[in-house]
Amino acid sequence: MSSNTYRAALEVAMNDAMDNNPNTMIIGQGVADFKGLFGTTGGLAKKYPTRVIETPLAEDSIAGICIGAALNGMYPINTHIRADFGLLVFNQLLNLAAKYRYMFGGLFEVPMMMRMIIGRSWGQGAQHSQSLQSLLAHIPGLVVVMPASSRGIKASYDFAINNHKGPVVMLEHRLMYELEFEGEELKLENPLFGSILENVGTDVTVVATSVMVLEAKRASKYLEDFGISVEIIDLHSISHPDKEMILNSIKKTGKLLVADTSWAQYGVAAEINRIINESDPSLLKSPSISLGMQPAPCPTAKALEDLYYPDVHDLVDSISRLHFNRMNHSIPLPEKQSMTDYYKHFKGPF
Amino acid sequence: MKSSLGLLYEALRIRMVEEKIIELYPSDQIQSPVHLSIGQEAVAVGVCSNLNESDWVFINYRGHAFYLAKGGPLPEFFAELMGKIGGLSKGKAGSMHLASPENGVIGASAVVASTISHAVGAALAAKIQGQKNRVFVSNFGDGAMEQGVFFESLNFAALHQVPVLFLCEDNGLAVHTPLSDRQAFNLEKLVETFGIQFFDISEGYNPEKVSELSKTPINIVREQQIPVFLRIKTARYKEHVGPGEDFSAGYRSEEEINKWKALDPLINDSSLEKFKEEISVEINEALKFAYNSPVPTREDLLTDVL
Repeated sequence: MSSNTYRAALEVAMNDAMDNNPNTMIIGQGVADFKGLFGTTGGLAKKYPTRVIETPLAEDSIAGICIGAALNGMYPINTHIRADFGLLVFNQLLNLAAKYRYMFGGLFEVPMMMRMIIGRSWGQGAQHSQSLQSLLAHIPGLVVVMPASSRGIKASYDFAINNHKGPVVMLEHRLMYELEFEGEELKLENPLFGSILENVGTDVTVVATSVMVLEAKRASKYLEDFGISVEIIDLHSISHPDKEMILNSIKKTGKLLVADTSWAQYGVAAEINRIINESDPSLLKSPSISLGMQPAPCPTAKALEDLYYPDVHDLVDSISRLHFNRMNHSIPLPEKQSMTDYYKHFKGPF
Repeated sequence: MKSSLGLLYEALRIRMVEEKIIELYPSDQIQSPVHLSIGQEAVAVGVCSNLNESDWVFINYRGHAFYLAKGGPLPEFFAELMGKIGGLSKGKAGSMHLASPENGVIGASAVVASTISHAVGAALAAKIQGQKNRVFVSNFGDGAMEQGVFFESLNFAALHQVPVLFLCEDNGLAVHTPLSDRQAFNLEKLVETFGIQFFDISEGYNPEKVSELSKTPINIVREQQIPVFLRIKTARYKEHVGPGEDFSAGYRSEEEINKWKALDPLINDSSLEKFKEEISVEINEALKFAYNSPVPTREDLLTDVL
């Protein structure tokens, strides 16, 4: 049976990148070991020993090595098994890669990909679980994508590797790796710029990122029985979202919930609200709601972790509040159950 | 290989360009900070005399000398410093981010040590792609050797045996702080710990000497396609940034610099006088190009972002 998991889509993307272009290299910690970066690079080191490069624990230099290699004709794919380790490359990524084309007036291009995996599962704690999208998408020159499905990966990785001439950051979510996906192939003109209309609805718009798209779909399904119709936008490109899609949806529903994998302040939620406010604030018929991580570092204790992340329970509550335009509503809430437990047992298809 | 008179001529040309910048600086026509290479020209000229056009040099914010020594065009240089569209980077780079890819001058960074790993990466790409006989020079100052990425880059270059020349331009100062207040390690031993050959040149005031003595390390990189380390002692005559001198600040002694000046052929070799007029003419022509070049407009503000 052919698998359509998030992990399998990544494995195909990595294989295609290596098979179809003799200048692709994959470089990072664990890319050549027996686990092969959660199975996404397995076997490639044997097939391409000079282009799949295991690295010293030296993220800063490796990122710079990728820039130098890109300048000399390679397409480097630099991996970070935890996005948190990606913080060690911020000098190279923000000061150099993002600026290289502009700062030198277009003399150079540095086509490269950074794959950063958001490590959240259970008990990953403060430094193995973070979602860095808003820090990265803040920087001009970077393209930041959070694929939320296998088809999101299929559409965007190949395109990035073969068509985009600058640095692209792919923020993958560990919770989704073993989940099965379905759905038609995406037809995006430029899959690095744009968002995906995941569910058509009329009452409330949910703009979601990464694994929160799945939680939004669960909430939407749950609320169908209560006659509440939810429109879901998978933001997909964090740096270059489809503003028209968002505005058109809000025009229809007048209600906005942003469900992000990171903190709300100065983040995706703030940006979506900016887009609406600067276009037409009167589109919103009631105050918007943001759901993200609690404003603290991530705790390790499971009892706290389950409170720390929003899930379908919180989404159903927020969507109902938006729909009825009041704090109290009569919709019974689904039991609060940790997402990691849920996705461990239910693997889709989504 | 250029004749020694050619080398002195080139060093003098760079010195005179820098002196022209000092002359112009109060007029505010140069619209960015300048980190002058005065005193260090011989390093760039001597090393570049052993490089080919296809060799790449990764430079830093004190990059005027390397840009010019590697063949970067002078009219575009002045235009770049003045923020004019005629600069190779259309004025977006300025003095601190010089580049001339056609001449193998790869982008200069103003964050210390941040291009060392770029040279290693370009050399790795050369190895993977089977490019032959190319040399990738990583040019940095002594201050850069305190950054973690310096050690990481030595390790990776040695581990993968890639054709990099680590070139330390050692002027003994990181901004205003002497090396003795910053480094606890023995550089030669450190480099050799990685199995990388270490070469040392103490005559960083003399382009002929630098050219002669850097030939062997550069040839090793070229022929064996392995990393080599070269330190060249030199002296920064001017303040860290800006056109002036700052001996009165008390962080270093003028006598120390005077010892270098006493050896500096650009100051002491009277046979160079005869070249000055010709170089002045070239500089004035280049300046004319820069003056006449238009300033960038709103149309240019958001180009080349992605």
